[in-house]
Amino acid sequence: MGGLLSYFRSLIGSREMRILILGLDGAGKTTILYRLQVGEVVTTIPTIGFNVEQVTYKNLKFQVWDLGGQTSIRPYWRCYYSNTDAIIYVVDSVDKDRIGISKQELVSMLEEEELKGAILAVLANKQDMDGAMSVAEVHQALGLDLLRNRTFQIFKTSAIKGEGLDQAMDWLSNALQSRK
Amino acid sequence: MYHLLSGFYKYLFQLDEYYVLILGLDNAGKSTYLEAAKTHFTKNYKALNPNKITSTVGLNIGVIETDGCSLNFWDLGGQEELQSLWDKYYAESHAVIYVVDAFARDRIEESKAVFDKMIASELLKGIPLLVLANKQDLQDSMGVREVKPIFNQNAHLIGQRDCMVMPISALNGDGVDEGIKWLVQCIKRNSVVRPPRNQSDN
Repeated sequence: MGGLLSYFRSLIGSREMRILILGLDGAGKTTILYRLQVGEVVTTIPTIGFNVEQVTYKNLKFQVWDLGGQTSIRPYWRCYYSNTDAIIYVVDSVDKDRIGISKQELVSMLEEEELKGAILAVLANKQDMDGAMSVAEVHQALGLDLLRNRTFQIFKTSAIKGEGLDQAMDWLSNALQSRK
Repeated sequence: MYHLLSGFYKYLFQLDEYYVLILGLDNAGKSTYLEAAKTHFTKNYKALNPNKITSTVGLNIGVIETDGCSLNFWDLGGQEELQSLWDKYYAESHAVIYVVDAFARDRIEESKAVFDKMIASELLKGIPLLVLANKQDLQDSMGVREVKPIFNQNAHLIGQRDCMVMPISALNGDGVDEGIKWLVQCIKRNSVVRPPRNQSDN
């Protein structure tokens, strides 16, 4: 009976995908979350703790967790890792001083066993600002060439203008669907 | 005793791990090719809809098992600014598949120039090369007869390594099997020089 139910459920819509939005403080994670959910720019304050919302994109449901990015709360990211399907890693493309720290956080996060199967979308955010790093620069600065066993993709985004997010969500939903 | 048994088990069942790079200009069909290869060699694999494959800025991975080997693919982005990232993978690759858009006559010279630059790298010396003239499903695309002479011009750069030009259609899967089979033979022959990943670790 349960099998039958889950079969019908798979016809209607699949299991909610669990996505984490991570990155340093001030990268634009919360703005991205609400851009995805309500399609508008909301005024945000630095997140202490987390925001979680259900986002529907082209009939696919995502449960999106946006975790605070400040130094003191980054150690708690790991509490949310289990059962994660995808990671959206947000980088402030203008903040060249802290891209090194961002790299370290990314590297240590990806070493976690629980995230082994998660795919990665890197959002090079704040592309609307002058002096934003290009895709190749972000790739190098984050040391992404060291990733050998994980599918990832980089997107240029501007959360304020809403650019690039659709491409990222398109890619995520396709990649997640084929992975099952 | 444990080591003896586990060693014996490994000898019998462990597959040799090889890494294959998929390179080429943007829009040549690299990611579509990877999907086609996965579909052909993996049972019940649910392939991506080819219409939904977008240009890669990053890395797509895939693993197939054939002929006692496990082939791990790295499909990289082909846009000009991303080509500078290719060489990071050269030292660990056992073979390169270079995908050419045989329909884009106006970009064939560009593709050839990028190919020459790639094979000039010391890190890829002796590594088997498979050049795929893709998009044979489109009428009016160049056949192997046209593509081959272009890519064989610099025989001195290719040198001793195995190099083959094959026609394929990544979209409908024609020629995918033959290419992989040929490549596996070459990789095995070359494994004296570049041993599989699992053996070089031990």
